[in-house]
Amino acid sequence: MAQSNPPFMSGVPELLLLRLLKQQEMYGYELVRAIREVTGEAISLGEGVIYPVLHSLERSGALKARRKAVGGRTRVYYALTKKGAARLDRLQDDWHRIQGGITTVLESPGHA
Amino acid sequence: MPEPNFGQLAQRLLDKGIQPRIVRRAVGELRDHYDDLVIAAQRDGMNEMRARDRAASQLGEPDLIVTAMSAQRALRSWPFRYPRVAVVIYPLACLLLLPAAPVVAGMSHASAVVRWGTSLLIAGIFTASLLLVLQLSILFG
Repeated sequence: MAQSNPPFMSGVPELLLLRLLKQQEMYGYELVRAIREVTGEAISLGEGVIYPVLHSLERSGALKARRKAVGGRTRVYYALTKKGAARLDRLQDDWHRIQGGITTVLESPGHA
Repeated sequence: MPEPNFGQLAQRLLDKGIQPRIVRRAVGELRDHYDDLVIAAQRDGMNEMRARDRAASQLGEPDLIVTAMSAQRALRSWPFRYPRVAVVIYPLACLLLLPAAPVVAGMSHASAVVRWGTSLLIAGIFTASLLLVLQLSILFG
């Protein structure tokens, strides 16, 4: 499993959560499992750390939460709002811009 | 790794100024998440003790959770978000508004104030009349 690197992880959980919730509503444990599966365990998080991000996104209106009884247990499901979708678009644009910049530096012979 | 103490975690979050409603929900979610991790580890063939140990490790250090939670300013109660307002401006505003409190209370209970005022006025007139009669009876009696 990849080592987590906090300075490089800034903003990444938020981007991943918004992207996964764009497809369907999910609860915390499901989200962590989805992150692990989608990234091939390349991204390792202390799993409890996603809840502050989820709550903060909910407070800012990017997500909405609702309780739902599943298999005899009540889960808190999170879903993306319109505001969240707009935020995801912005974050994706930022990510692609930064990724492009870093790739250029890494592939430039002058910096090898 | 020791089993997470969710009660202690909740108290630490409250001490950091996280809103009680959010603490209750977050700790409930963390507890459910931990239970799910234990079940998953047991499905992988671990005995209960090892499963709990792995689940606690996957959930993460309580310190990290507290730090991550308190780093989200929006999750804090307003006195922790705006400490200057809570410590200086709010008490000052209360002190300034204090003299207005009886007036506001009187306006909101106007009918009772009028009743009490009328009763006091009648009682005053009655007492003054009695004293006047007494005085006159002393002078001319």
